[in-house]
Amino acid sequence: MAARKAASGKLALSPVLDLNEASVLHGKLMSMRGKDVVIDASAVERVGVQCAQVLVAGAAAWQADKKSFLVEKASDAFEKTMQLIGISETQLIAKEI
Amino acid sequence: MDMNEIKEIFFQECEEQLAELESGLLKLNDGDRDPETVNAVFRAVHSIKGGAGAFGLEELVAFAHVFETTLDCVRSNKLEPNQDVLKVMLKSADVLADLVTCSRDGGSVEESRTRGLVKELEALANGEAPPAAEAPKAAKPAAAPVVQPTDDSGFQPIPFTFDSFGDDEAVEDQFTYEVTFKPTRELYSKGNEAALLLRDLSRLGEMSIACDMDQLPALESMDPEASYFGWKISITTPKSEDEVRAVFEFAEWDCELDVKSAETAEGEELPMIPVPFDLSALDDEPAEAVQPQAETAAKASVPEATSSVAKAVNAAVEKKESAATAAAAAAQNNAAAASSVGQTIRVDLDRVDRLINLVGELVINQAMLSQSVIENDNNGVSSINMGLEELQQLTREIQDSVMAIRAQPVKPVFQRMSRIVREVADMVGKQIRLVTEGENTEVDKTVIDKIAEPLTHMIRNAVDHGIESPEKREAAGKDPEGTIKLSAKHRSGRILIELIDDGGGINRERVKQKAIDNDLISPDANLSDEEIDNLIFAPGFSTADKISDISGRGVGMDVVKRSIQALGGRISISSRPGLGSTFTMSLPLTLAVLDGMVVTVAGQTLVVPLTAIVETLQPEASAIHSFGANQRLISIRNSFCPLVDVGRILNFRANQANPVDGVALLVESEGGGQRALMVDAIQGQRQVVIKSLEANYTHVPGIAAATILGDGRVALILDVDAVVGASRGQSLKPEMSLAATG
Repeated sequence: MAARKAASGKLALSPVLDLNEASVLHGKLMSMRGKDVVIDASAVERVGVQCAQVLVAGAAAWQADKKSFLVEKASDAFEKTMQLIGISETQLIAKEI
Repeated sequence: MDMNEIKEIFFQECEEQLAELESGLLKLNDGDRDPETVNAVFRAVHSIKGGAGAFGLEELVAFAHVFETTLDCVRSNKLEPNQDVLKVMLKSADVLADLVTCSRDGGSVEESRTRGLVKELEALANGEAPPAAEAPKAAKPAAAPVVQPTDDSGFQPIPFTFDSFGDDEAVEDQFTYEVTFKPTRELYSKGNEAALLLRDLSRLGEMSIACDMDQLPALESMDPEASYFGWKISITTPKSEDEVRAVFEFAEWDCELDVKSAETAEGEELPMIPVPFDLSALDDEPAEAVQPQAETAAKASVPEATSSVAKAVNAAVEKKESAATAAAAAAQNNAAAASSVGQTIRVDLDRVDRLINLVGELVINQAMLSQSVIENDNNGVSSINMGLEELQQLTREIQDSVMAIRAQPVKPVFQRMSRIVREVADMVGKQIRLVTEGENTEVDKTVIDKIAEPLTHMIRNAVDHGIESPEKREAAGKDPEGTIKLSAKHRSGRILIELIDDGGGINRERVKQKAIDNDLISPDANLSDEEIDNLIFAPGFSTADKISDISGRGVGMDVVKRSIQALGGRISISSRPGLGSTFTMSLPLTLAVLDGMVVTVAGQTLVVPLTAIVETLQPEASAIHSFGANQRLISIRNSFCPLVDVGRILNFRANQANPVDGVALLVESEGGGQRALMVDAIQGQRQVVIKSLEANYTHVPGIAAATILGDGRVALILDVDAVVGASRGQSLKPEMSLAATG
């Protein structure tokens, strides 16, 4: 994990990533721009498509910023939902280049 | 929001859906074959069923299901919506409405009625009835829509089985479908979740999926609540295409959906990810699905039912918006309007009332302020004065806008009438068609709430007494089907509702005889046709020789008249023997404000509604003529008009005042006759806020309501019709006891 440097952040996802959470998540990610980020998805019980959209857009933004964006400890529900809605692991990862 | 509140919303929306249903069916009945009309009708029943399922309203779900199945046959052109079919449908709509009412208020609908209709609906869906129905495919036995059994929890699973019309596939055969699914923003905002739909879809068979992210913008420019993802899905399943589509049925109008069998599908360009069959990890959560409200319902149900329950609760919540959408769609009659969610909000009536009250107070306060400024501003040119004028303008605008919030189209009331016509006509064996016009005419909600009852009574009367039996009509050379026309329009600041029937008209001989028998008029009274017609409004008057179930129960047109008058309205009748009768009701657009003329009578300040006043004049001694013991007439442009001393009739003074010292207000009463009301002086003309006298004090004969004037004093608003009625002096029993009011 490259995210333990000075400019790195950790974001623990809420258990319920529903419509209401999408804006919250978007806000949190926006506030973390410019630094490496590790997303902790261990507590996630439910993911709605809108939060998934935010996460994918986040990964793309981090990729563009050339910062690392990593989802770790994904819960079973998180993984299965991503598979279900056709999002592959790579689409949720940005690497420092 | 707890479950009861959601349920309350559900019932409110049922009302809207039922109205939508009825108006759609009536349109179809009139020959409208627009697919959107059929869709709107189907949607209405479908939404009711969905919501009802969430609350375990089994009877409602069961009936709606059968109804919906038959409607689906119409939707897919398997059943021609001819008159016979629509008759069954309209009856079904009535039963559905009753089931909704019973579900809300308790009670039960006569089982034989429901059962009979279920049979008729099923027969239609199976292509068995009526002659004009062509149902080649629906004739297959597999299509029989049977009420599904409910499970132990009392819930009936919501994914429905009407899909199997004409499906020829053997159960074991596997089919591959290419599904394109792109939700709109509304899908999410209504509490649906695309992931859950995809999960349900994946359960049908082996599925692989590709997410189309092309429309996803950059993080900083994205709207987190918008919908960007779409999917291409390939699914291999033994199920039919309809069953695949059924997964999306709650979201059907909030997504782009395309389902094709793989042979016809175009080439796939996105890489597909196979979806694991075991999605048990996702099974625990849909109970709390998407919206926290779903929790309560889902927890109360057995696990198997959770998905559909959550979905149905979402659907119930969803309908909050979709009802508005549906209304808009009906109005504009195009499918594009179906996505105009968010254009309306639902506001508690109390809040609007509070606002209206406050604005009323503001108007009074502003008037008081103006008055005190005028009193203290001798030259009348101060800047405060000018500012006040602007304030007055603004207040008026605010008031108009607030009133507009309460304005509602009369459509729901009119629609209720069509059911009454149907039922009563059936009961008395008449053929009657109700034609409505101007149903989008808007009027204050309180007025709408209060006209339903008198209107119902009048419609019943028109069906029962107005329109003749088909045999009589034919004998008279008329169409055996009678027509009742109900129309609404705005006219000079009031709403005019007309009820026109093409029946036999009023039998004046019989009316007169009845009035004589009942001591309402003396046998030698010489009445004009109009006066005879208006006798039917006299208390206790009923011409029906025998008391029927439908009307003539002792409450007659006098009750109707009183209700209309209580609303500040007027009612009149004109009738042509053999051709029919026309009842005309003129009602104020609002019960909250009134444009009035402020007058002085025997030292008291009264307000006379401006709508009643035709003109004002200063009587000259030569124009006044005595008539009889204490009647006086005034001659206006070569015709005589009875002069009524308001001060005397309200007992403000013991003797009649000298007309030359006062002002005459020429008013028109509901009978059409004119009277000159004598008042001492005119103070001015202004808008006043109506304060109910009944609610704050008690009913005062001759007085309609009260208001607070700019100087803080209470002024009484004159009930012109009551005063005119009391002045008639004929044997029509005056309602006024002429008690002192001052």
